[in-house]
Amino acid sequence: MILLPRGNPVKENINPGKVNLADALGKMRQGKFTGYMRFDFPEGTGVFIYQEGRLISSLFENEREHLIAYDGISRTFDESLNGNGKLNIYQLSTELAHSIHTLLHGEVLHKGQDLQLIDIKSLLIRMREEKRSGCLRIYSKEHIALIFYRDGSPLGFFHDGSTDIETTADSSMSVAKEPGAKVDVLVTRGDGKKSLADLMETADITGMWGAAVAERQRQREEHENAASKTQETKESDRWQKTQELFQSFAMAHLGKIGSLLVDKEFDKLKLNGGQISESALDDFYTKLGKSARMVAGPSKIDKMLEEMKKGFKGLS
Amino acid sequence: MDMFQVVLGFFWLVAGCVSFYFSIGNARVWTSIAVGFFLILVGEIIPGTLPFLPGLNNPYVLAMGHIIGTLAILIMSHGFQEYYVFTRTLDFEGSKLHVYLTVVGVIVASLVFLLINPTPDEGVLRVIRIVENTNWVFLSLINIDLIRKIHLNIKDTPISNGFLAFMVVFACIFLWKGSQLYMDVFSLDTKQHLINYTISHYANLVGDLLASLSVGGTFLYLGKLLR
Repeated sequence: MILLPRGNPVKENINPGKVNLADALGKMRQGKFTGYMRFDFPEGTGVFIYQEGRLISSLFENEREHLIAYDGISRTFDESLNGNGKLNIYQLSTELAHSIHTLLHGEVLHKGQDLQLIDIKSLLIRMREEKRSGCLRIYSKEHIALIFYRDGSPLGFFHDGSTDIETTADSSMSVAKEPGAKVDVLVTRGDGKKSLADLMETADITGMWGAAVAERQRQREEHENAASKTQETKESDRWQKTQELFQSFAMAHLGKIGSLLVDKEFDKLKLNGGQISESALDDFYTKLGKSARMVAGPSKIDKMLEEMKKGFKGLS
Repeated sequence: MDMFQVVLGFFWLVAGCVSFYFSIGNARVWTSIAVGFFLILVGEIIPGTLPFLPGLNNPYVLAMGHIIGTLAILIMSHGFQEYYVFTRTLDFEGSKLHVYLTVVGVIVASLVFLLINPTPDEGVLRVIRIVENTNWVFLSLINIDLIRKIHLNIKDTPISNGFLAFMVVFACIFLWKGSQLYMDVFSLDTKQHLINYTISHYANLVGDLLASLSVGGTFLYLGKLLR
């Protein structure tokens, strides 16, 4: 679960499976969008960060995987097409978007520390003394707030609903006071100000989307074929079991020739296609009864057919 | 002797009625077989065992009796062939009405054939009777073999023992018709002092009696098996 504060909502609760994401990303670029797109799936969370229309960062994360750049985009596309996701788009300031990028790709120093158990002051002092750059992420069940640091000095605060780094700590501190609030300490390496490449320039987003759609289509067809084959196998098994059951009844009442008569009438029935059912078997019973009259009397034939009907019901 | 003929007639009447009734209530393939046995009654037994009936000295009636007797063995043999084919291929076709109409049609055609030809004299009647008995003798043997094969194919069915009974029937018919053929071929009716005649004559009567009993009994047995 990637914990990020909500910025200024642009779009919320969209099903990404119903959106042409290649087009959507293109529009973000044309519109010089700054902020992030957050994809929540049962299989993980994807985040695309835009800075003035440039896709500077992408991430797909779950408990087992941490995919970035093209892999992150590709996986997010794949999961989107499954149709079980939720897309939220939040606008941020340019600086905050960059900070979130560094945050997402930073190193987790402490994770899920209970604020009631940790000496927050000592932590902040250590951040300053060690000249850390990074972020303190304070969160409760309801809210998230971020405190950004650069070289040990606090840059500002970010919390739900804000689009830029703020200088007042009120909201962030209020989150820290909520019951069960926790803190993550994330640190970044290198120059946080460095300009980041636009992934949309170096990647064929339309091609990646097309490949994801094609793969999805292939999987769907494969699934349908497998389902169809499963159904066919099931139906075939049902035919076989019914035939074997009827053969045993015919054998008991009419001998070997009865079993052969069942085979013959079953072959005719199969040629008609369709599923085996009581109504489809009516014609079979009539024809078998007629053939059976060559070698047995009505009472024996009626008894045999009655057993077959009961046996078939038992199989159903 | 006349009394014996009446008893024979009674048994054939019973056998004919049973076989005809059987032809109505069972599968189509039995129709040919049962109608064939019924025709024995119509074609031969009536003129043969009830000579006192009016018009039975008419050569056309006598000739038709022999022709219907010939048709009887041909039709029932065809029925057994159909049954054998069924046991091998499980296929059969046709309808009972078709069988009845065909039999009536062939009988009518035979009658027309007789009527458009010179009146059959004693010699012609003898030839027709020899043709009839030859058919019966050889087709009885062929049918015994065919029925044996049918029995092997369906030996675990309810009806299978009925075919063993038919083998007995054809054995009796072979005795009956074979002795008659023997007497005709060697003209033993003109040499009645010979032991050959005596043996053949009694074999013929015993065969006739056993055939009538076995036919009636077999169809009653089949009726029981096919209940």
